[in-house]
Amino acid sequence: MAELLLDPNIRLWVFLPIVIITFLVGIVRHYVSLILSSQKKIEIIQVQDSQVMIRSRLLRENGKYLPRQSFAMRRHWFNNEETGYFKVQKRAATSQNPMTDPGMMTDMLKGNLTNVLPMIVIGGWINWMFSGFLTTKVPFPLTLRFKPMLQRGVELAYLDASWVSSASWYFLNVFGLRTIYALVLGENNAADQSKIMQEQMSGAAMAMPPDPKAAFKAEWEALEITEHKWALANVENEITAMES
Amino acid sequence: MGTSFDKILVLVGFISLFHSAYSAAQHRSYLRITSQEFTTLPLDIVVQAVVSLFTVMWGVLNIAGNLREIPAANELNTIRWETQRNLPSFYIFNHRGKALAFNYVPVAGKADLENLE
Amino acid sequence: MSVVTKIKDNKPEPVAYSEAALRNNAAVVEYCRTSMAALSGSTAGVLGLTGLYGFAFYVIAVVVLWLMFMMKAGSNWHKYYVSRQSLLTNGFLGALFTYVLFWTFIYGMVHVY
Repeated sequence: MAELLLDPNIRLWVFLPIVIITFLVGIVRHYVSLILSSQKKIEIIQVQDSQVMIRSRLLRENGKYLPRQSFAMRRHWFNNEETGYFKVQKRAATSQNPMTDPGMMTDMLKGNLTNVLPMIVIGGWINWMFSGFLTTKVPFPLTLRFKPMLQRGVELAYLDASWVSSASWYFLNVFGLRTIYALVLGENNAADQSKIMQEQMSGAAMAMPPDPKAAFKAEWEALEITEHKWALANVENEITAMES
Repeated sequence: MGTSFDKILVLVGFISLFHSAYSAAQHRSYLRITSQEFTTLPLDIVVQAVVSLFTVMWGVLNIAGNLREIPAANELNTIRWETQRNLPSFYIFNHRGKALAFNYVPVAGKADLENLE
Repeated sequence: MSVVTKIKDNKPEPVAYSEAALRNNAAVVEYCRTSMAALSGSTAGVLGLTGLYGFAFYVIAVVVLWLMFMMKAGSNWHKYYVSRQSLLTNGFLGALFTYVLFWTFIYGMVHVY
């Protein structure tokens, strides 16, 4: 294996800049995506609906601990033909198709904008600016199979496979620096953690079925057929039996 | 979080590591100029690099944050009576007692609640 | 308070772990592991290790990090980690990629030119 001697200027003006550019672009991309990301807004109607659903479910499950009159009262509030909550609420069915939802579309567009576009632009720029350099050599032997992967832009048939060209060095950096971002942008992870906490707090409210009308209908039916069976009807006798 | 001692440890370790890298680069260029064959690095550079590596690792380990005790009992023991009583299902936002307040304005009906937004 | 229950094989009684604490510990371990991979990769590059010596150095660094975790936790490591083996082996390959990148980088900076 012939030992190649590289110009130290390549180290200073090609090798190092590629690493720094890749790293800084990753950081900038992270902050840009933070700026562009829109907080999912919960509408008050949605929260109200989901809380009503939760209350109705609780009534169905635990209504047996209420006196018959109280249970009937609560069910009346939900299910009465004229004034019941499930009857009078008119909710427009939200569209299911994400393509017709403009918010979803912009989210997808932003995702593409912050992920794919910089990669193409910066990759193309690096290819154009730093093309045709051998930058480094991996410190372990590789088979010839790796040549097209590591020596993009330098088509020399007799070059040892462990030399790395500038374009390939850029791609190695793009994929290898991901864990370092997680390390450096520690506050990113912290933000994620608090976001998870938030979702847990409002999780019950967030989990509203997409079509409130159908959900109301189903809940109305379930509540209508619920039979009230008072669990505490015989409670005095049971307690005294337990005592004795 | 780590103490300032650990941060100094990390900083010193980094500088030392960088210095050893620079020394190694200098050594390589010296060998190349004098056209000698590279065999191994001088022992002091090796020792410096390895020692600074372990220094930085120890500092990072202490900076990374405290480990929390994972058995759930340890956390459950710290829950107090007040937190235990905090049940979201029993929150009341619309108590009828507010009708007794002197500045109470009666709301006409449920339809008005919708228009509050 | 979210609680994860896991049943260990050798113990008949289930042990309940706090999920938040588990996640916190996993994040700390991951942080240390990534730092360790980057730093030991840099050191391997400075030392000019090539071929299998470099990978052996990675294994040594992983083991040393594990020993440091044990040293930090002291004798009552049961309080902090579910198992010692998974602490040693988790994320071995993911960190290896970072290690190789830094190894190549510093090796190129110091030894190639």
